[in-house]
Amino acid sequence: MTAVTPDRVPAIASRRKTMKDGGVKPIGKPVWLLSPGVLWLLIFGLAPLAFMLMMSFWTSTIFGTKPDFSLDNYARVLVTELYRDQLFKTLRIAFMTTAMTVVISYPVAYLLSRLQGMQKALFVLMMFLPFWTSYVIRAFVWLPILGRNGAINNALQALGITDAPIDWLLFNEGAVFLGLVYVYTLFMTLPIYLSLEKIDPALVEAATDLGARPAAVFRRVILPLSWPGVLSGCIMVFLLSISAFVTPQLLGGPSGIMYGNVIASQFLANNNWAFGSALSITLVGIVLLLLLISSRWIGVQHVFTGGRNS
Amino acid sequence: MTDPVSDVSTPPTVAPAPEMATGNAAVEIRDVSKWFGEVTALDNVSFEIGRGEFFSLLGPSGCGKTTLLRMIGGFETPSEGQILIDGVDTAGAPPYARSTNMIFQHLALFPHMSVHDNVAFGLKMKRIEDNIVEQKVHQALELVRLEGYGGRKIDQLSGGQKQRVAMARALINDPSVLLLDEPLGALDLQLRLQMQDELRRLHKSLGNTFIFVTHDQGEAMAMSDRIAVMDQGHILQIGTPEDIYEAPRTRFVADFVGHTNVFDGRVSQIDDNGECLVVCGGLTFRCIAPTGLAVEQPVSIAVRFEDVTLDGTLGSADGTGCSATVTEKMYLGGMFRFETRTAEGVALTSDVTNSDAARLVAEGDTVNLAWRPTNVSVLLE
Repeated sequence: MTAVTPDRVPAIASRRKTMKDGGVKPIGKPVWLLSPGVLWLLIFGLAPLAFMLMMSFWTSTIFGTKPDFSLDNYARVLVTELYRDQLFKTLRIAFMTTAMTVVISYPVAYLLSRLQGMQKALFVLMMFLPFWTSYVIRAFVWLPILGRNGAINNALQALGITDAPIDWLLFNEGAVFLGLVYVYTLFMTLPIYLSLEKIDPALVEAATDLGARPAAVFRRVILPLSWPGVLSGCIMVFLLSISAFVTPQLLGGPSGIMYGNVIASQFLANNNWAFGSALSITLVGIVLLLLLISSRWIGVQHVFTGGRNS
Repeated sequence: MTDPVSDVSTPPTVAPAPEMATGNAAVEIRDVSKWFGEVTALDNVSFEIGRGEFFSLLGPSGCGKTTLLRMIGGFETPSEGQILIDGVDTAGAPPYARSTNMIFQHLALFPHMSVHDNVAFGLKMKRIEDNIVEQKVHQALELVRLEGYGGRKIDQLSGGQKQRVAMARALINDPSVLLLDEPLGALDLQLRLQMQDELRRLHKSLGNTFIFVTHDQGEAMAMSDRIAVMDQGHILQIGTPEDIYEAPRTRFVADFVGHTNVFDGRVSQIDDNGECLVVCGGLTFRCIAPTGLAVEQPVSIAVRFEDVTLDGTLGSADGTGCSATVTEKMYLGGMFRFETRTAEGVALTSDVTNSDAARLVAEGDTVNLAWRPTNVSVLLE
């Protein structure tokens, strides 16, 4: 503010002048500062996806993958009953997993948001502790629990409830469901907990003051204000479980495999990269479609804008 | 501190509404104490608030005024004692079952609802018919001069508009007692004065009982029918703004309300005409003696800045004036503030209306200060 020209006609011109005279250097809009992030996204995010999209129109033979254009892969994805069934099954498991994690996580997150001081720290630690171990181990740990000679069967037999080990505990859709819920619950609890934690306690008091009983306070104030947390948790868990690979591989057996395993087998076992790409792109497309539909319906945009403003 | 609330029986000075002829109080506080662990927030407080009164709880932060308000609203339970609203003991009644409504310090408007839904909330909770709700919301918004703002989101409102929504949201329920927890604290001065007017206007037109918590003595003075001055969990004095301002009973009240010279001294003489002389650090003050005063009794005296004048024609011999040197002169717009030091070494401050005579006085000048015995309060505690 040192050099104030008496005849500062356009405000911008005078400001520029001030900056030149003073110590502040004009930096314009430093868009280039975004470049590391943008480059990262381009190279490791968009480029592989674009490449996969391209390859999904190619054809793979035992001699290798040929870059020509054909829709055969997509025709096979959509027409073959096996792949269609796998897709629906995977969607079903992902939906169920998401719903189940909400049911489990909301009360836990609510309890957590009520606790104070040391108790809270302890509970948060207890919740996080299992997640410091590897994802694979957390899925793997169900084998010695659910297996023929696992903890549950041993306990049942020791207690005399069953004579022989139960087989249906493991290697089926139910085991996959259980594993996914266990592995991904934290991704639901955390955003719900954070959104509950953000609610001003005075809002709850205000609702009570205005005649709302506890149930009405929950329905009219707490639930709507924690809804963005629930939605972001849902999106995260749904995306993670629809593309699950390790959990169904370990716990699923032949009947419990999911779309991720089908895709992986095209790349790893069948060496059919083109078809694997088409399967992947189909999944990406379906996920996008679901997000789009739900955004019209439950305000998913709030999740990405991080709150109340639309 | 044996009897800090001796005038609990003082009737409210509001123009008596017809229904308060029976003298039943809107709120009755009976021997209420509150402890948070080892800390005493309120220590055996008793008083009544009349129906239709604008009553302020005034005190510094931590004096227990908010705790008391929250107990009336049902957000805290008294550790001891009773709180009666409309003659009914409120023990165990949760906030949703009380005929009180609160305007919160930070308003606590629901951010996920429109202005309309915020205001309608209380009626919806009472399952009032939709068309009546609509009508009442319209009236409430009209009352706070926010017609046509129903569809707005809360974060699209200015500070003053949010205040009005909070008022409408509480008043639409026609509470028998409206509790206000320093709701104007966050506003700038201009808006604050505007909102004070607004609250006065609403109180006058609606006639509900208002209980207003504040640490701003000016705010309490401007709006209240009666004020309770609180400190450290005690009520020191209850009275009209005039009472509190003109006749503070304790040193704390004198200090807290308005700008006051306060001195410790002892009584040197009690005259037959009801006046007495109090000597404070060599300076003598003539004051009206309260009943039961004894010679040689240690007391404090208080003289407001504006009650010390510069036109000292009266001598210092009879305790109604003295000569002093101006150590500092401050311009305060409508008046000057002179900080002076008397020959005895006592620091006295005087507020003088802006006049030609006052303008001519400069720092370092010797002036004659004067005061009236009726303006000097004797404080026994």
